[in-house]
Amino acid sequence: MADGTRTILDMRGIEKRFGDVKALDNVDFDLDAGEIHALLGVNGAGKSTLIKILSGVYTKDAGRIEIGSEACDLGTPRAAIGAGIAVVQQHPELVGDLTGAENIFLGHEGAAGGLFTRIDRAGLAARAEALLARFPIEIDLSRLVADMPAVDREIVAILHALRLENARILILDEPTSTLTEREKSSLFAMMRMLRAAGIAIIYITHRLEEVFEIADRFTVFRGGRNVACHTVAEARAKGLSIPNLMLGTGAGLTFPPRSSTPGDTVLEVEGLSCGEMFRDVSFSARKGEIIGIFGLVGSGVDELSKALFGVFRPDRGEMRLKGRPITLKSPAQALRAGIFLVPGDRRTEGLTLDENVTFNTTVANLSRASFGGLLRFGANRRAARALAGKVDLQPMRLDRSLRGFSGGNQQKVVIAKGLYRQADVYIFVEPTVGVDIGARSKIYTLMREISRDAAVIVISSDCDEVHSIADRTFALYKGVPIGGAARDTSRDTLLHAGIMGGVAA
Amino acid sequence: MISRQLTFRLLAFAALVAVIGLVFWSQSSAFASTGNLRSLMRHMSVQGLAALGLTFVIVVRHFDLSFPGIASMGAMTLGWLIASGLPLPVAIGGGLAVGLIFGLVNGIVVARLGLPDIVTTIATGGLAIGFSYFYSNGTSISQNFFMSGILDLNDRKIAGLDMPFAILMGAAALGAVLLHASRLGAGLYATGQNRTSAHFAGIPTRRLIVLAFALSGIGACLAITLLIASSGAANVTAGNQLLMPAFAAVYLGAALFGRPSIGATLAGTLLMSMMLNGFTLLAIPYYYSDAIVSTVLITAIAIFDPRVSGLLRRAGRRTGAAT
Repeated sequence: MADGTRTILDMRGIEKRFGDVKALDNVDFDLDAGEIHALLGVNGAGKSTLIKILSGVYTKDAGRIEIGSEACDLGTPRAAIGAGIAVVQQHPELVGDLTGAENIFLGHEGAAGGLFTRIDRAGLAARAEALLARFPIEIDLSRLVADMPAVDREIVAILHALRLENARILILDEPTSTLTEREKSSLFAMMRMLRAAGIAIIYITHRLEEVFEIADRFTVFRGGRNVACHTVAEARAKGLSIPNLMLGTGAGLTFPPRSSTPGDTVLEVEGLSCGEMFRDVSFSARKGEIIGIFGLVGSGVDELSKALFGVFRPDRGEMRLKGRPITLKSPAQALRAGIFLVPGDRRTEGLTLDENVTFNTTVANLSRASFGGLLRFGANRRAARALAGKVDLQPMRLDRSLRGFSGGNQQKVVIAKGLYRQADVYIFVEPTVGVDIGARSKIYTLMREISRDAAVIVISSDCDEVHSIADRTFALYKGVPIGGAARDTSRDTLLHAGIMGGVAA
Repeated sequence: MISRQLTFRLLAFAALVAVIGLVFWSQSSAFASTGNLRSLMRHMSVQGLAALGLTFVIVVRHFDLSFPGIASMGAMTLGWLIASGLPLPVAIGGGLAVGLIFGLVNGIVVARLGLPDIVTTIATGGLAIGFSYFYSNGTSISQNFFMSGILDLNDRKIAGLDMPFAILMGAAALGAVLLHASRLGAGLYATGQNRTSAHFAGIPTRRLIVLAFALSGIGACLAITLLIASSGAANVTAGNQLLMPAFAAVYLGAALFGRPSIGATLAGTLLMSMMLNGFTLLAIPYYYSDAIVSTVLITAIAIFDPRVSGLLRRAGRRTGAAT
């Protein structure tokens, strides 16, 4: 570190595992007093895990944490607060029926004498004033939080986090996601003031342009490792590409060869729009090829996948399946029409975790799995075994509940479930999140195999995945499609389309 | 094919039956008499039918607190129809229809309108009790009972079994086919365990929840029909004794067998009926036996709860590792 800076937080060799997934792998991270430090990375890169260790929600498996050159254990949220760490969650939980001041001191009203003592409102107001004297911000804390604009609520949440005298590290998790541009600049003004007051801020965001606007330094996480840490000035001078740092190159992965012979058009989507979530999406998907849609979290890709599957109803636009217009009102209808979704969150949307492989494989097509209303146990077992073999399930245990399988093998069961359904259109959302390298290659191969007899659409926040597996690609940025599902879109074009709306880096 | 785990659970159940049986038998030799065992099975038949119906609601992870009230109204409807001189099948059908209608109302309100199940079913149960007073201002009905043949439901035998127990076995067989061998059953479990993924798998989750509540209402009214057949009169408080034993039976069975199922509910009902029967034999006042049933219920709920069972498993592993 340069002279004159004071390291307030020093994390060395932090490790955290969940089952067989390494969420943090020997991570170093440091923070200076009075700096705004952006923490970047795609979903699953390990940002949240690090924050949860810092806030005492998770305990680290290995590594050392020093705060103000004192070793800290941070085993519990209480210990983290005691160490001066203040966290503002992405969607702060405030009580709408209380005023700003009451929210700030919620649970710390300071009334001595037990449960039934009246809250000392004058004292509360005085303490709120004192806090505002430390951090001079234009805000009326006597208003009900429910009546406040989003940015004021954010400020209340920040003041709540900073209510304790000793708070010196502030963690902000995507605070701007619900703010307008004007609100954003008042939030940034507050952050600069906190920085001037000596508070160190860890700032998590998905909007890269904000890094250059507000941050002093940034750290990039990828796959549970700290892959880069630079000052913003340095990045500007060297012309570093943050998207490249975030996404890296898909080393160690093999992708099946692309197709050269697209067949009949199966699904046509024209001008599909759904409220604020996405607008004017048009593409067509053919047998024999894979369409790729790249979009970050919040870009509308997840909503788009659900609109294609009948979960959300689009308010404009048209879908045609094999030339015939269709209107989907429910997933059941989408399945009957021949559309299958491999959802992005397989644990909550794709699987019945307490049931076994046979049950999960057949559950999306119970009319095939039964005769006269009664389940065909023998036939279903045979079908499940055949499909489990096809997707290379490890271990091959049809009677085991899904909880006993790794993420990659759970995903293979979702794919087996889709194969049992024999659909014409398969939509894969984030097909390899939480999936180890070996299973990933297998899943890509399966997607390519499926595309021989059906149209395949892959939707992902992993640009390399989309670019490597798909034959034609486009990006969704803030709900708007960028690029027209062309065959020869380059990786960088796609990347910049999805991360910055198409502006070259 | 019986897995090792199931064998273990069956053995645990058999051991429980043996222990409870031996304890009561050692206190009162009348416990093992043929007469007492037959009355135990009658008691089990009534409780079992209510518990079977409730099982479906528990499988879809909802609650039904209305079935005792619905049963009371079913009882009074049945009694009134018999007293009015209608043929027995019509009267029984009328009683069961009450269960069906209230069950459908519960299901539609909970699944379609999304209102909370506990409050909704407390309200519909209260409503049903209110209606049950309409027929006779709350006095019990027994006119025509002797002539109608309803008492045969209690006294006759089928294939060597007392009629009530035969009815329970028949209902359990039907229930088992529905819940464990049909596509509806697969849908019910899928709905209960993960409603979103069931919805995404094209399963009509709302319709299945309505079905579960309807079966609960019908089960309760069938149970009360047997109770009327044994007591010879319909009264407005008939359903009150169903609530706790039914819940305890379902949860105790689920705790024993790892999940709610028809077999688990029958097992739970047998254990509950043995206990209640034993307490009666020993002349233990009902308020004590109620307290014991409640203790069993809360223990079973704790074991059925994944967090608690997880804790127990971890504690077991720790002690296992320590030794």
